[in-house]
This record gives sequence, structure tokens and C-alpha cells, in this order.
Amino acid sequence: MKLREQVQAIGTLVQLNGLIPIRAQPLYLLNLLASPLSFLFFIGIASGGRLLGYGVAGGMILTMLSVGTGLQSDLTHYRHDLKFQDVIVSSPVTAPSYLIGMALSEFVYSLPGMAVFLGIWAYQGWWSWSNALVLVGALVLVWAFASTLGFTLATYFEDVRETFMFSPLISLGLSVLPPVYYPITSLPGWAQKIALFSPTTYAAQLVQGASGQVAPSFDGAIVDWAVLGGFTLALLLLATAKARWREP
Amino acid sequence: MDAIRAEGLTRVYPHAPAGVRALDDLSLVVPSGRVFGLIGRNGAGKTTFIRIAATQLEPTAGRIAILGHDVMTQTDQVRARIACVPQESRPLYFLTVDEAIRLNLSLRGMSRRLARSRTQDILAELSLSELADRSISRLSGGQRRRVMVAMVLATDAELIFLDEPTTGLDPIARREVWGAIRRATREGRTTLLTTHYLDEAETLSSRLALIERGRLVLEGTPPDLRGRVRSPYRVTVEGSFSLEELRSFGTARAIEPGFLVFASEANARALAQEALRRGARVAFGPVDLEDIFLEVVGRRIEDDREEAAAE
Repeated sequence: MKLREQVQAIGTLVQLNGLIPIRAQPLYLLNLLASPLSFLFFIGIASGGRLLGYGVAGGMILTMLSVGTGLQSDLTHYRHDLKFQDVIVSSPVTAPSYLIGMALSEFVYSLPGMAVFLGIWAYQGWWSWSNALVLVGALVLVWAFASTLGFTLATYFEDVRETFMFSPLISLGLSVLPPVYYPITSLPGWAQKIALFSPTTYAAQLVQGASGQVAPSFDGAIVDWAVLGGFTLALLLLATAKARWREP
Repeated sequence: MDAIRAEGLTRVYPHAPAGVRALDDLSLVVPSGRVFGLIGRNGAGKTTFIRIAATQLEPTAGRIAILGHDVMTQTDQVRARIACVPQESRPLYFLTVDEAIRLNLSLRGMSRRLARSRTQDILAELSLSELADRSISRLSGGQRRRVMVAMVLATDAELIFLDEPTTGLDPIARREVWGAIRRATREGRTTLLTTHYLDEAETLSSRLALIERGRLVLEGTPPDLRGRVRSPYRVTVEGSFSLEELRSFGTARAIEPGFLVFASEANARALAQEALRRGARVAFGPVDLEDIFLEVVGRRIEDDREEAAAE
């Protein structure tokens, strides 16, 4: 299958798993908005608006992570209950095209949430071209690794109920415990060292910098980009080697 | 060129009990341009064979080539030429019938215009046109199954895998699916079909293979298979006979409301004449696929039991 046809397949998957279900049930759009906005609400109220920037930065990262956990549930359901993955495997559509198409289709659901957060972000006066570039770059990497993680795990789960167990754990491990909604300096020294094992810590530092919450440093940003990019690349390589497209 | 050529195909599932093989050194050739029927009991290995051939599952040992391409080393070439309706598969429930078929064609790289026209054709062929704009979630199980079959038959695939495609369909819908499969055959495409409806297998398939416990037990045209059973005729009798008496004509067993006897042609005729003389109700004719299935599979189960008892 040529590149043009793979691109067509990706576009079709976005239509099939993103646009059409939303047209049929627009309430889907509120799904990915709920958790990040709840956190933002509590953080904003509890801090009297002082930590609003952290709430916005954390909300954007959690929204991208939710794309990955949503993808994980959808793919597991489609694979086991509908045998949709088997239909795709026995077709010219490749595994990377399926992953990209389904990840983009899940991203469509995050658009209202992202619009709300970006609206607050711009309204607070944090907009600049450089900040916007950092924001987009960091969030794209979070989307990429969350989707790759969701895709890989979905190829292993034996039942959709397993995703109900894993998704909250993934959210807890990647967005609640690491310093995504608060500055890393709020953690004691030993916990800061543990937080460095989470890729979202680096994404959060970039997004918090682009939201005017922490003073960005050149050296710090280099480390953040390198670790976040390296983690995403490593996960993509892991998915290439370990994701089960054809069952072993 | 053969559509499928499998040699020594073996599959052992990771958590299967020791010694249990889903496929056990299975060799099979499926000629192209025909419907090939794969029959066997539940768990005999039919779906495992289809999943390996359709590149969904790796074999543990052996080789299989699809349209001349090895499924393990030339997977992309294979996938470009096949399409599959997996067992128990269902279309995505939030799509309409039209979208499910059309978008599946678009996924496979077909142009929008051709996909639309192919969709309309298959909808008409399978009497789904009236349901075109209905959501899949509002269809019956049989209608959903028909949509799955339509999705695959509308493609350009040269080799189509249909794993129990008509399960849950009413007799009219089954015949419409048969018609669409025959049309695909007239277009020169090959269909590998598994089914538990033996009349369907016999009606559609130019060749059949019977698999039992992962092994090929019988393979050939339907008349070939009939010729290979020990008793090529079946006689049903109601009244006037005892089971012991009937056993002198062949293999007999009680069925409601009488007896079923498998016998040679001469014995079957003799029994029929005797039954008529006694005024009993009688019917006789060649065995059908179901009889062959019961005899062959039943004999193997008995052999296995005897082996186990001897051990």
C-alpha cells in the first residue's frame, strides 16, 4: 500500500473513530474535559487563583494523557469484542497507520478541553510565539508517548475490564503523583529524585515554563526536551518490537 | 497458482495443556478461483487455520503461502490481497450500515467514488439498501453479520476468509450471502469458508476439508467425500423392525421416531424392499455431508477412547 493510501487510511480512521461517533453523540466531547477541569477548579479555588497557571499546565498534560488511556480502552474493546483489529490486520493498513489514525481520532475528543485551557492560557497573558512552540512541542510528545503506551498495552489486554484497572493507575502514576499540577520544588528532595523517572515531570516543567509559572532556563530546557523526546522514542521502539499486531 | 498452500502447519497455544495442538502438522492446498469449505467440530482448528492464513496469528511450525507469498516473510504482499470476516466479529456500532461498508473500502485505499458505487451494489445484493442509513446499533444480530460479510465481499481482495459468516442468519439471508459468494467466485476470487451448516458447505464448496483435533481427516470434492465413507447409503425406517434386526443390514441406531441405518447400496435396497413388504415407512438415499461428518468424527472419537482405555 502506497504512502498516499496509508494517509487515506489514517484520515478514514479519524473519521470512523472520531468525527462520526461525536456527530452521533456530542456528549463524548465532554468526557475528556471532565477530569482536567475538575482539577483546575479545585486548584483555582483552593489557591485563590494563585496556582491557576499550574492547573492549566497540568490540565493540558492530563488531557493528552487521557487521549492515551482512552485509546487503550477503545482498542482493547475493538480487538476483543468486535474483532476490528483482526479485520484491519488482514488488510493493507499497517500497524503504524492504525496507531496514528486511532491516536488522532482520540485527539479529536480532546479538542474542546484543549480549547478551554488554551483560552485561559492566552487570557492570562502567557501567549508568545516561543511559549506557544514549547507548549505545542511538549504536548505533542505527551500525546505521542501516551498513545504509543495505550496502543501497546491494548495489544496485550485480554479483556476491556483490564483497561478499567490500568487506566486510573496510569493517570495516577503519570499525572497526579509527578509534579504536573504543582512545582517540583514542592516535593521533598528524595521525592524529586523519584519524580525524575516520570516523563510527564519533564513535560510539566516545559509547559509550566511556557505558562509563566517557573523561570525557564536554557540548560534545564535542553534536559527536559532530551529526556521527553528520548522517552517517547524509546516507547515507539518498544512498541515496534513488543506490540502484538500479529499474535505470536 | 494455489490460493493457499500449507505444509506441516502446527500451532500450539502458549497456555494449552501439554500435548494439545490446535493444528498438528496440517498440510492443505486450496485451489484458486473456488470456494473451499473447512468443516469440523468446535475447537477442531478451523479458526486457528484461518487466523494463521489471514496473517493474524503466527504458526508454531510449518509454512503457509497465500497466492504464492509466504505469510511470515512476505506479509505485506499477502495483506494487500486478502480480506477477512473473523468469527464473532461485528461492525463498529456507532456507524451506519452505509458508513461501515464504505469506510472499510476507503481504509483499504479505494477511491471515494468507487467505494460509494461498490457499497451501493453490495447493499442491493444483500438486501441491505433499506437499512443503509440505519445505525449498526439498531440492527439485529443477523443483520450485523450480513453487514460484516458485505464489508468484505465489496473489497477487491483476491482471497476472502469467511469464518462462520452465516451464523444467526435466517434461511433467506443465508441464500443471499451464498449468492454474493458465488458472484465473487465468478469474478475469479477464492473464498475459504468455515461453517457449521453442512448443507451450506456442500452447496457452496467445490472442495471440502474435514479437520479434527488439528489434523486433516478428509479432503476432496463433496462426491469424493461421500465415496470415502464405509456406508455410502442412509435408510430411515419407522416401525416393524428391531434394532438388532436392522444391524444385519449395516450400522443402525435409534432416532426419533424410528431408526437410521448406514449401509452399502445393495443392503440399503434390500432393507428398503423389506420395509415396504412389511408396510413400514422408509426413505433411503446417498449419505449427506452431515452423515459423513458424524461417521468420520464419531469413529475418531471412538478410536481415541479405545486408545485411552488400552493405555
